[in-house]
Amino acid sequence: MKKRMMMLLLAVMMLSLIGCNKADANKKALLVVSFGTSYEDTRTKTIDAVENVFKEEFSSYDVKRAFTSQTIIDILADRDGLEVNNVTEAMEALKKEGYGTVLIQSLHVMNGAEYDDMVAVVSEFEDDFADLKIGKALLTSVEDYDQVVEGLASNFQDMDNTSAVVFMGHGTHHEANAVYATLEYKFHSMGHEHVYVGTVEGFPTFDNVLEKLKKDGINKVTLMPFMIVAGDHAENDMAGDEADSWKVMLKSEGFEVETKLIGLGENQAVRDLFINHAIQAIEGETH
Amino acid sequence: MKKMKMKSWLIYGAILLLVFMLGRPQLEILLNRTSIIDHKDYAIDFIDDSGYRITMDHPAERIISLYSAHTENLFSLGLDREIIGVGTSDIYPYDALKKEIFDYRSDPEKVIAAGPDLVLIRPFIERNSPDFVKSLRRAGINVISLYPDTFEEFDDYIIKLAQATGKEISGKKKLDDFYQTIDRLTLESSHIEESVGVYFESSDREYKTITEHSMASQAIKAAGGVNVASDAVAIEEGSSIAIYGIEKIVEKSDIIDVFITQRGVMGAGGNLHSISIRPGFSAIKAVQNGRVYEINQKIISSPTFRFIKGIKALQRAFYPEHFCKITIDEDEVITRRLLSEIMINYNQDMIFVPTRSYYAQDDRDHYYGNLVDVTLEDEDFDSIETALQMAYFNVEWIDDEEFFYPDKPVTREEFARILYLINDLKNETYDYSDKDQTDNETIVSTILANHLMMTQDNLFSPHASISGRDIIRGLDL
Repeated sequence: MKKRMMMLLLAVMMLSLIGCNKADANKKALLVVSFGTSYEDTRTKTIDAVENVFKEEFSSYDVKRAFTSQTIIDILADRDGLEVNNVTEAMEALKKEGYGTVLIQSLHVMNGAEYDDMVAVVSEFEDDFADLKIGKALLTSVEDYDQVVEGLASNFQDMDNTSAVVFMGHGTHHEANAVYATLEYKFHSMGHEHVYVGTVEGFPTFDNVLEKLKKDGINKVTLMPFMIVAGDHAENDMAGDEADSWKVMLKSEGFEVETKLIGLGENQAVRDLFINHAIQAIEGETH
Repeated sequence: MKKMKMKSWLIYGAILLLVFMLGRPQLEILLNRTSIIDHKDYAIDFIDDSGYRITMDHPAERIISLYSAHTENLFSLGLDREIIGVGTSDIYPYDALKKEIFDYRSDPEKVIAAGPDLVLIRPFIERNSPDFVKSLRRAGINVISLYPDTFEEFDDYIIKLAQATGKEISGKKKLDDFYQTIDRLTLESSHIEESVGVYFESSDREYKTITEHSMASQAIKAAGGVNVASDAVAIEEGSSIAIYGIEKIVEKSDIIDVFITQRGVMGAGGNLHSISIRPGFSAIKAVQNGRVYEINQKIISSPTFRFIKGIKALQRAFYPEHFCKITIDEDEVITRRLLSEIMINYNQDMIFVPTRSYYAQDDRDHYYGNLVDVTLEDEDFDSIETALQMAYFNVEWIDDEEFFYPDKPVTREEFARILYLINDLKNETYDYSDKDQTDNETIVSTILANHLMMTQDNLFSPHASISGRDIIRGLDL
């Protein structure tokens, strides 16, 4: 009986050791979190490209990927056999693999609802890593706006007085929606008067932008997405051929319209800004 | 001995209890289906697709339909007042949007409280929300579960629906018209000498296609196409879905003249762009020639009378040279109705079919199916609705009612705007005399500068009507 008890105790001790993978602070991972896209071509140009920059810049870190959209994760798994983790799965995996230092970098445009959700999930793993840090979204500090405006400036050089660039953002119910109006203000204050920012689901609306275009005597409009990836919204809501696309609505009013399906993730300044945010997170800087 | 007996009884009892527990749903169905004791004659008496015997003394008068195809078919049979509620995704016809919404994933009490005498479901709901359905049955409500798995079962399905709602005559007439139309369309397609090879993607998840017995497969045949994936094997017996796989699709690259991708349901196919960028797909003939078409699931795979629209849409996609032909006289007066048809044929557009998200947008100038003067029965309904979706025309709202004025002649300025929309033109100036008469000087100037329309005595005359001559010039026919 005594022998049996001893064996049982030993077994319990052994079991308790299994799964207890001691985190190693020198084992570092950088988790790049984005909404995701099911389009392979645009993913290569944007998310993949940003991740590659991270791999170069943070060579001591293992760069990992997570998407926040479960729908996109499911499509990729079923259609292309491509496995992408959601944030919870990615954090579980990092824990299991024994990483001690983990840096999370969001590829979101703003610190909005998606960002908040991500932070909430990551926070649950706070005690599992020796060092856990989160980098901010694209538009956080005033300097971020400056850098984005400068980075995008190549798209609106040599514009005459009757030409304009309109950026289409997603828009959100979250208070962070204010980034769009702030961004337009920055464009104007940095000398790009005929650059406007509107959103599909928030403020400023398409009508707000249209009113300004008319008031400013604009004749030609270049439409561009203000989204990391030029996906469904850019293809349909911005550049589609149906009555409710921005292209058609502008053409109906007599504007000459050109569309550029280029995601922000293709822009070097935007990539650099994400790198900066990751560095700031490591250094413990907050805005 | 006594001990043994006791043990055996216990074992038998346990087995019996287990059988009752595990087989309870089947036993319930069996009891309901056989109704051995019930020899009474009922006005309505049939077995539904979940295996339940349905008995009713008179047709239903307060119906809640929890499946969009049932809802659509009830309206097609001429019911409206009798429909007191619909499902969460029911948007067709437009009047369905005015009904109260019920959800089989929520509390059955809401349905029970509405006091229906019939709730229409499909076996999918029975399988996924069994407790919800049981609650309705326990409350004494007639629940009928119907779904035709194959095209051949469509008749039986409509007849049962018609019986339960007292619309047998209307149901039979609709079915007669339906099959006559399919025969006529099939005959039209049979005159085409060279058939196109078609791949039909029912979902891009696991590269699924359709089986031979599916409605979509019948539509391809009726439209004169040849399904290149006719060797596809159903994922399970009786299913209309088959996994085909990327390798087999690419293998058939040379014979896929037309690639049809089904949209409108969760997990449904891709679009022209997403299909074009798939590995190996650039070799597919249809991709190379830009002959990838999106079709809404509701008109091709859903068991409704709108299936006719699906066949017509496929005909246009397969053989535009025959089914998108534009014939016009120079002196012909061009009405808004006629120009809608001309434009849809000119662009070879697929007809527009809305989804629920379309109606979720609350600031549209026009809502599909809401026109007072172009109803579902109008033969030009689809071309007019598609033309409106492409922003070719505006509508007029009077006292919360929407008007298109289909027989009104098209004005010169209206046509100039359409030409401006379909062409990518650089804005130009043109000095015409009646600028003050036009709504949009930029559009008219650009059209005139590009010689797509002409002035007479330097007058554009924006409010005058266009003729066939203007169409021939503007569209370069």
